[in-house]
Amino acid sequence: MSTVESRAATLDSGATTRRSRANKAFDIGGLILTLITVIFAVLWAFPIYWALITTLKPEQQAIAKTVEFLPRTWTVEAYWHVLVNTMIGRWYINSLVTSLAVTVITLVTSALTAYALSQLRFPGRTVLWYLILASFMVPLTALIVNHFILMAQFSLINTWMGVVLPQLIHPVVIIVYKNFFDSVPKEYREAAKMDSAGEFQIFRRIYLPMNWGVTTALAIVTFIGAWNAFLWPFLAVSRPEMMNVAVGITSVNDAFGVQYARELAGAILAALLVAVLYLIFQRRVTQAIMLSAGVKG
Amino acid sequence: MSDIVLKEVSKSFGVVSVLDKVSMQIKSGEFIVFLGPSGCGKSTLLRMIAGLEEVTDGEIYLGGERVDQLPPNERGVAMVFQNYALYPHMTVRDNMSFGLQNVGTPKDEIVRRVEDAARMLEITQLLDRRPAQLSGGQRQRVAIGRAIVRDPKAFLLDEPLSNLDAGLRVRTRLELAQLHNRIRATMIFVTHDQTEAMTLATRIVVMNNRRIEQIGTPMEVYSRPATRFVASFVGSPAMNFIPVAALDDVGGKASVTFAGQSPVETGVPAAGLPTGNLTLGIRAESARITQGEGAIKGVADVVERLGERTLVYTRLPDSTILVAEDAGISQIQPGDAVNITIDGNAAILFDESGKAYHAAA
Repeated sequence: MSTVESRAATLDSGATTRRSRANKAFDIGGLILTLITVIFAVLWAFPIYWALITTLKPEQQAIAKTVEFLPRTWTVEAYWHVLVNTMIGRWYINSLVTSLAVTVITLVTSALTAYALSQLRFPGRTVLWYLILASFMVPLTALIVNHFILMAQFSLINTWMGVVLPQLIHPVVIIVYKNFFDSVPKEYREAAKMDSAGEFQIFRRIYLPMNWGVTTALAIVTFIGAWNAFLWPFLAVSRPEMMNVAVGITSVNDAFGVQYARELAGAILAALLVAVLYLIFQRRVTQAIMLSAGVKG
Repeated sequence: MSDIVLKEVSKSFGVVSVLDKVSMQIKSGEFIVFLGPSGCGKSTLLRMIAGLEEVTDGEIYLGGERVDQLPPNERGVAMVFQNYALYPHMTVRDNMSFGLQNVGTPKDEIVRRVEDAARMLEITQLLDRRPAQLSGGQRQRVAIGRAIVRDPKAFLLDEPLSNLDAGLRVRTRLELAQLHNRIRATMIFVTHDQTEAMTLATRIVVMNNRRIEQIGTPMEVYSRPATRFVASFVGSPAMNFIPVAALDDVGGKASVTFAGQSPVETGVPAAGLPTGNLTLGIRAESARITQGEGAIKGVADVVERLGERTLVYTRLPDSTILVAEDAGISQIQPGDAVNITIDGNAAILFDESGKAYHAAA
């Protein structure tokens, strides 16, 4: 090896050492971060794991004072009980129907409202817009007594309609839609006008399809919200056959009081559909939450 | 008949006036170009003809019918937008069919018209693609195709070439001229690019500051500009403007002296010239470098070799710069003394208000 080459090699190895040192420092930081993340992930996941294994234990083991990370005896008795002895099938149907209705009606009305606010010029438009923004600040729970009285007067207690109607108030959906419609370049609207399209056609054939992404995202979060809704469906329904899953599972107990394995089996079955939906549409859900968070922030 | 007539059309947004009593007549089949700098109101005028902007005052007639109160779709015009505004979620075929579907054209008729237009524009193979899968030039053709299928009385084109790269722009410009020759439809084209205006137009409407400065054929606008603005806006390099020091009447023609040079005889009739300060306007090609003794003497400051000709930025003794032209193969170097002869018949005089005085045609 000539002197020059060896010098170059030395220099090179020096550089490598420096680089690996920098890498090491970086790796330690990364490692700590990863560790922290893993710890939080375990903390978050543990209750779900605990719920899952509890449902697979016999009731005596479920309430045992010792901590057992795996069931000593595996059993699906809790699930069997929930499926056979409760109306969970009926509750599922109730949840499906009301959640779908809430989703579809909310999206259709909100998209139309947002289109009108964003694209049409009519007297009172600004006032209407501020009203919607203001209604966003009123928590739904503050209105729950009024809703109950109203629904009772309409004789809608214990009906699907009674469960659905008060859940249709979603100003955030209107706000998100309006922001999206506002950002559509005005040339599309003008081109459509030159193409003899009426307002409804511009909405249905241009604005809505151009914003399918936001529609699916909003549909998923609205559906999940309606599926998980508890307080209003709990108040609006007293007859077991009209309950939705979230309300129904709270009645999974018998003369012996709370049965943890069965309660949790009910809860897991109730969350199943949403969990599957979430797994399929993960990215869309995150997107939708960020959209509405952007509005809220 | 699809003549377009504008009668004292004005437009203001609140208190801001953007167009002031614009009148013109466009004959059926003409290719009219609205040319002017940004903010002169040319796009607004086009959009008013389209029906996308309301007319504040004045009247617009299309084929003899008053249209300024009609919605855009009832005017029988089609528009090509600067960014094309192709519906991104529809295929090219759907983009072109959309307008016809909305007016209830029978399906087979739509198919026939779309395919005819696609064949004419050579975009048949693109019909099932979406706009995002097309190049800029292809999108431009689709936008024109969308206008053609509607068989409009007039095509309104709002800077349709400005989003294309230089090479494609030249090619598309040529194709647009060919298209106009073939379909002979009235076209109104808005641009701030004087080359596009010169090459495409039957007549150019030069606009500045809310008004029409001049309406004329490209050569009229180029060689006989009505105002100093038109003279400065059209042509490259820009026309030379030199303050006139003294004016004489030599045989009925104006003879001017400037920058301490010997007098230059122009073709402009001396009678009728105003008494105030005048400015001489002369294009580079009418101020030629000469080997012999010329009227104007100066020193070459910058020499631009453009291949087919050479531009010599000449510094006159009083530091005025005069851009003169020489042959493509020019021996002149910066710092050389040069002689320039001026073609007096091409010279234009401008008064203080910018009004032009030409040699008798």
